[in-house]
Amino acid sequence: MKEIIDQVSLRAIEQYGDSFTQEYYRRLKERTFCTTRCQECGEMWYPPKPFCPKCYCEKVAWVELSGKGKLYAFTQQERSLRFSKPDVIGLVELDEDIGRILTRIEAKFEELEIGMEMKVSFIDISNELTLHQFVPVK
Amino acid sequence: MSNKNVAIAGISTSRVTKNFETSIKDLSFKIVKEALANAQIPKEDVDGFFVTNPGMAGHPYCMLACDLADYLQLETKSLALMETGGTSSFTALHFALDEILSGRTKVNLVLGIDSRAKEVIDDFKSFITDGIMTQTSLYGSYKGPYGIGAPIPYYAMSTQRYLYEQKLTEEDLAEVSVRLRENASRNPRALYQKPISVEEVMASPYLSPPIKLLDCSPFASGAAACVLVSPEVAKDLKEEPIYITGIGEHHHPSHFIPLKDSLTESIAIREAGAEAFASAGIKPADVDVAEVYGVFSGTELMILEDLDFFKKGKAALAFKEGKTALDGEVAVDPSGGRLSLGHPPSATPMMELVEIVEQLRGEAGERQVKNARVGLVHAEHGMLNGSIVLILEKK
Repeated sequence: MKEIIDQVSLRAIEQYGDSFTQEYYRRLKERTFCTTRCQECGEMWYPPKPFCPKCYCEKVAWVELSGKGKLYAFTQQERSLRFSKPDVIGLVELDEDIGRILTRIEAKFEELEIGMEMKVSFIDISNELTLHQFVPVK
Repeated sequence: MSNKNVAIAGISTSRVTKNFETSIKDLSFKIVKEALANAQIPKEDVDGFFVTNPGMAGHPYCMLACDLADYLQLETKSLALMETGGTSSFTALHFALDEILSGRTKVNLVLGIDSRAKEVIDDFKSFITDGIMTQTSLYGSYKGPYGIGAPIPYYAMSTQRYLYEQKLTEEDLAEVSVRLRENASRNPRALYQKPISVEEVMASPYLSPPIKLLDCSPFASGAAACVLVSPEVAKDLKEEPIYITGIGEHHHPSHFIPLKDSLTESIAIREAGAEAFASAGIKPADVDVAEVYGVFSGTELMILEDLDFFKKGKAALAFKEGKTALDGEVAVDPSGGRLSLGHPPSATPMMELVEIVEQLRGEAGERQVKNARVGLVHAEHGMLNGSIVLILEKK
């Protein structure tokens, strides 16, 4: 069953993504957390895009993110297809000031507080798929 | 031409149930027939037909608008299926309104229909494939892989921020569920009618903290329709219709989680509300009765504040003090709201509209708001990312 879920997940990511999506996931697999920055206006945007959403320029470059941020909000999924339950989900406001990203939180729900310092880590879902997750900075 | 003279001549709604007892075709026929009978307009007069996607739970429907027009034998000058998530039926209604204002059509039928029950597929592989593809289609390639099904965790984080920013408690939210259920206890169409207490809400299990089972609207099935008519047709109606005197619509460029903007104050609702009030030439205080698309107790409060009925952070107190009760400053969700009436997303805004039309006509029975003349109906999609607001008035 896990094999089917992994296979379909990859297909879904590809189908509903764009021409930069696979490169983003390839970088996650190599344990680098990246996004794109416009080479014209300098706007950095998450998630990465093959164009700048601000000026529609197509000259964008990959940049590595610091992977540091603050916990903006968090909750727990009682039912998750992907992870064992309960599964903690959160929004982390990145230090680069490019907004908040949805991620998995590797910590117990009870230990968390809004505003906590967080840092990125990586979780291998399968041989093919790695996701980012965040852990509190002790 | 001002939109102030486009009228709602007829309405119809099903009860809200977990599953449909009949097929989408059978139900569409029943609701369309009832809406036309309610308007006292023959089917031959219909020259525009607008429908929603029947939800996302079952197998996809291809060309449903065309298929239904054939099935119901409606010959029209305008036909469309509209899909914008929770606002779908009002996107359809807004288009229908504009078709009338442009002069192309005179009698438009708008149908919202949603079948929520997930079909149980024996083949596990197909079941998983459908589930993952739908989730990723809905949330995208970056949020999708985290395995969120129904958007409860998103709303849970918005609710957590709301409690944190406004210094409110989960008990404050529980009060909302209790009051809405009180209204539902007078509504024979509601999915849940048995009154509940704050203690019962607090004791219900967490779905995604701080959201508990009784803070959450139940996904359900249902259908509702209305007949919109031009000012000329309205003049000749046997019964005095209800007029759409204001409309506002706005979409923030975000889908579920806004990157930087607030999770507790919706720009889309603020803009759509302001446009609707301005086009009707009224203020929030002029509204007697409102139905809003609050699918969680905390969300209900945020919406009422963003529509300017109450100051930010003050809607919970308003609920507690009875300001939103049937005899309050503004009667909110006399139907029981999404939490107790039940929530078939593609049909929900149309069901809200049916409730307000009945209130303005004085046909709401035990839950009638006295002397209701001005009503508001609100719809949203995603997580308050887009919104449509209507002002309805009795002339």
